[in-house]
This record gives sequence, C-alpha cells and structure tokens, in this order.
Amino acid sequence: MKAKMDLIVNGKRLDGRGPEDLREIKITSNVIRNAAGSAYIEWGANKIISAVYGPREALPKHISDPDKAIIKCRYTMAPFSSLEEHGKPGMNRRAVEISKVTAEVFEDVILVDSFPGNEISIFIEVLQGDGGTRAAGITCAAVALATSGIPMRDMPYAVSAGRIGESVVLDLNKIEDNYSEADMPVAISPRTGNINLLQMDGILTREQFRQAIGMVKKAGETITRIQKEALIKPYQEIAEKYMEG
Amino acid sequence: MTRKIVVPGEVLAERPLRLNGAIVEGSKTCATVMGIFDDEKTLLIPLEGLWYPKSEEKVIGIVEEAKLNSYTINLNAPYKGILIAKFVRDPIDNNAIIEATVRELDKTGTVVLVRPRVLTGGKLIYVKPSKIPRIIGRGDTMIGQISHGTNTTIEVGMNGLIWMSGGNTDLATEAIMKIQEEGHTSGLTNRISSMLNLPASQHTEAHGAEGGNGARSEEKGY
Repeated sequence: MKAKMDLIVNGKRLDGRGPEDLREIKITSNVIRNAAGSAYIEWGANKIISAVYGPREALPKHISDPDKAIIKCRYTMAPFSSLEEHGKPGMNRRAVEISKVTAEVFEDVILVDSFPGNEISIFIEVLQGDGGTRAAGITCAAVALATSGIPMRDMPYAVSAGRIGESVVLDLNKIEDNYSEADMPVAISPRTGNINLLQMDGILTREQFRQAIGMVKKAGETITRIQKEALIKPYQEIAEKYMEG
Repeated sequence: MTRKIVVPGEVLAERPLRLNGAIVEGSKTCATVMGIFDDEKTLLIPLEGLWYPKSEEKVIGIVEEAKLNSYTINLNAPYKGILIAKFVRDPIDNNAIIEATVRELDKTGTVVLVRPRVLTGGKLIYVKPSKIPRIIGRGDTMIGQISHGTNTTIEVGMNGLIWMSGGNTDLATEAIMKIQEEGHTSGLTNRISSMLNLPASQHTEAHGAEGGNGARSEEKGY
C-alpha cells in the first residue's frame, strides 16, 4: 500500500532538487589504517565506509580458483543506519543480494587474472542510509580499491535513476525510492561506457529508460571527478606543503 | 612539467605503450593503478601498487613452516615463498626472518627463493611495496643515508618488508615512514638528511644525486 504523496511540486523535489540534480557527494580516501585500501563517502544523508583487503590466499581452499582471483563482497547496513526494516544486524536477504551484485561489478573491472588462487575482500558498511546506498557503496568501494593498488581496468561509479509520476529523475532518496513508480540503480565504467550493474524496480517505457541512462551517464562525469579528487587530494596536499616551504 | 597524477582507467596515450601498471585496450594505453605519469619520458611511477616478483630481486620473509624437503615463507604478498631444503646449508627454525633472492615465479603462483640468509634479532617493518624504490634511492643513496645517520644495519626487501638492527631503529623507522608518505615530493633526500642531522656537505651531494625529482630512482625497481 503506497500513500498518495506529491513528490514533485513546481518542478522541485522534496529536498529542493531538480529532476537531474545529484545530492551533494563527499569522498575521503584512506580512512582505515589496517586495510589495504579504504574510503568514506557522504552522499546526501548516506554515510558509508568501505575497506578492501587482499589479494590474499583464498580460504576456505575449495572456493579458490586456480585461474583467477575471486572477489568477495560484504555489504551490510548498521543496525542504527535506518529507521525501518534494516534494524537487524548482519546479513539478510537484501544484503546477500547487494553483496552479490557488487562483487560482480568489481569482477568486471579488477584484473583478476593477475592473482590466481587469491581472494580480494571488499567490505561496505552503511552507517546511515537514505536511499541509493548500493550505488553509493559501489562508488565508495571503487575509490577504496584504487587506494589499495589493486589493478583495475576502470574505476566504476554508480547512481540510481527512477520515475516519479511521468517524470524521470536522478538519484532518488529514501522517500522517493519508497513512493516512486520506478527505481533503477546503474553502475558504469566511465572510460568504456560498459554497464556493470543494472537493476530495476517498477516499470519504465523504452523512452524513459533511454532518458534515465542518459541522465546517469551525464551525472557520471561529476561523480568520476569527485572520485578522482578524493584520490589525488592527499598527495597534492603533501606536495603543496613542501612547495611553499 | 608534463607530470600528472593519474587514476585507474585513465587514458595515458592514444597509442599502445608497454608500461608497468598500464594495459593496452584497443589502440589506447590505460592506467590500472594510481600513479604519476610522465608524458615526455612515457613513464608511469605507481603511487599505489602491489609487488610482482621478478627474478634476482631481494626479498625478506618469515619462515612459516619447515617441511621435510622445503620451507614455506610468508612474504606478506599474494604469493607464497618456497625454499628448497637442499639449497639450505643449516636448518632454519620456524618464525625466523630471512633474506633471500627470488629465482622465479612458478606457474602455481609460488615464488621460488634461493640464497637464504637468516636475520637474527632486530626489527621488521612493512611499507607499501610501491614506495620501496624511493626508499632505496638512486644508487642506494637514500637507504645509505638512513643507515649511516642512525647507525643501523638495514635490509630492504622488494616485497615491502624492511629489517633493521642496532643503532637508533626508531629514528630509522620514522625516516622510512616519512619517505613512504612524501615519496612523490621533490627535495626529499634533503629533508631526510636534515631530519637525521647529517652534515651539510652531504646535504648538497645527496640532493644532487637525487636528480630529476627522484624519477630515475623510482624507475630503478620497475
């Protein structure tokens, strides 16, 4: 049962964004000392931390692949992250699904052939959730992987698009996600334009689908720029410190 | 200056180039790791990266298990080290720290090691393998300076493990960690020597040896 609700008034959404506007994104790299790579993202009200370990020996032994590295991903929402159904700690049906699709995104971009018999573990922990956490998690984990030095073909980003009434909108938050007609998270490798993840709740017409993908690709330029800045900034800060001196 | 920091997936050149840390897709060369790309010299210096074994490289490891005819060595890397017992003169204990040379990386992803030497006592630290060439420096200048300035014996493994013994190991660790953090900046040899209170004459000499922003020294290990 969905309550009747006006999610778009005078072309503005609940939080004052236009249909093609992203929420504010901030990424910090290298936040966990013990991990090979890590990153923290604030995407609107989403707060997500991601860490990467490996490549290391794949255990238990029977899951290892002698030809390539296996990617393990664990997406979880903290018990305090959200108001509603995500109150239980640990893995549930939804977390298992998101972990699976996220691992598949990174299987496509990491050079897995270089590390036979090893595993690469990606951890994504949602500290505060406000819709679009799987997209924000993938964007964050891509930065964490880049800081770990694990070779990648491309640094993917993800964002969701959807439909409210008859208008296609980008980057849905929790309320829009719950009451909209469609929600479609997409992960893309920016250099090649390959789509690594495409899921959809609800219905879009062909025309709306094309429009949504177009919006996602356009927003990708901004997200990729923020990812790059997050990676380069720590190095630039140190370099600038000594340039002045 | 044609140097810029690149991230994974960034197109380095519109032509195929043979570079460490890059792949060729179609007719383009793309970075696979974060690094500094020098357009003129077509050189990619990785800022973050893993260790890939090459033959005749010196590594440091910890003996995990002594088996009947071999030793397994933990190299703190995706590859396991193996030491054939018949090439070892005296038996080595478990958990001993050894320095050895890589003979080859076999097809199963095991690094075959030769010429082991047991390192007793001392202190073992881990740094990012991508920073090891900078820590060694061009013609061993940087590591020689640290060793001299702190009066320690230092053995550097290309896999990122560094063993040191005697003298002021805390200061040496601090200097190595500083290089790890600031490896991409210029004038680092100078700052390290002033940190270690080395005489001024060595300052200029060391700085001169560093040359073009340490690019050559970075190149050495790759």
